[in-house]
Amino acid sequence: MAKLLTEMLKGTLEGIILASLSGRPAYGYEITARLREQGFSDIAEGTVYALLIRMEKRGLVDVEKVPSEKGPPRKVHSLNSQGREYLEEFWRTWSFLAERLDQLRERGGE
Amino acid sequence: MSEGEKTGFISKMIGPKKRWRAYKARVKELPENYRTAVEAIERYLMYFVPIDADSNALTFEDLADLFEQAAVNGTPIREIVGEDPVEFAEAFAQNYTEGGYVPARARKQLADDIERAAGAETGTQDKTV
Repeated sequence: MAKLLTEMLKGTLEGIILASLSGRPAYGYEITARLREQGFSDIAEGTVYALLIRMEKRGLVDVEKVPSEKGPPRKVHSLNSQGREYLEEFWRTWSFLAERLDQLRERGGE
Repeated sequence: MSEGEKTGFISKMIGPKKRWRAYKARVKELPENYRTAVEAIERYLMYFVPIDADSNALTFEDLADLFEQAAVNGTPIREIVGEDPVEFAEAFAQNYTEGGYVPARARKQLADDIERAAGAETGTQDKTV
């Protein structure tokens, strides 16, 4: 079960992170903590971090370095307009997938 | 300020070797278990083919950023890398490398060869070698 969840999460984690950022900007640790609270308890902070770097490269999020009292400055990520567009597309695709899967469950392969 | 501040323009100027040394110095400052984890990930990342020297250096600087932050927050190692560290390492490596244990030309070669073979099926075989 856990293994299957991990596999299925792989393709959706980007969308999940963007959705989480659409509420308000956050740094990696915060996003991970937030998602863990919401029931994504197996999410690794490093994986979120890696995806944030990828989304930054693809221009979906803006990054601002904010000094912190302890340790290195925090990178605060916020969704930009390109990221919002991507998120909308993610939700459209998600609805499409969910609909198809529901059909399959109800009618089988017919 | 830590060596980690040397990013962007300055890091381009100081060159790959200096950046590597700066990274190593940062890792040395980490608590022992974090350092052990970073060094293990570092070893694994060596299997990937980097895009260029710059992104290769950035890989390790970003890795140090992650673990410095985690050490400050006291995040347990398992929560940083997850249950499957390979999964984390591959997701991380994807940002800086050509995507795996093979160089881009080998993947292009595979794609080209298959295309040629598939083309041969429909009688449109490319006669050039």
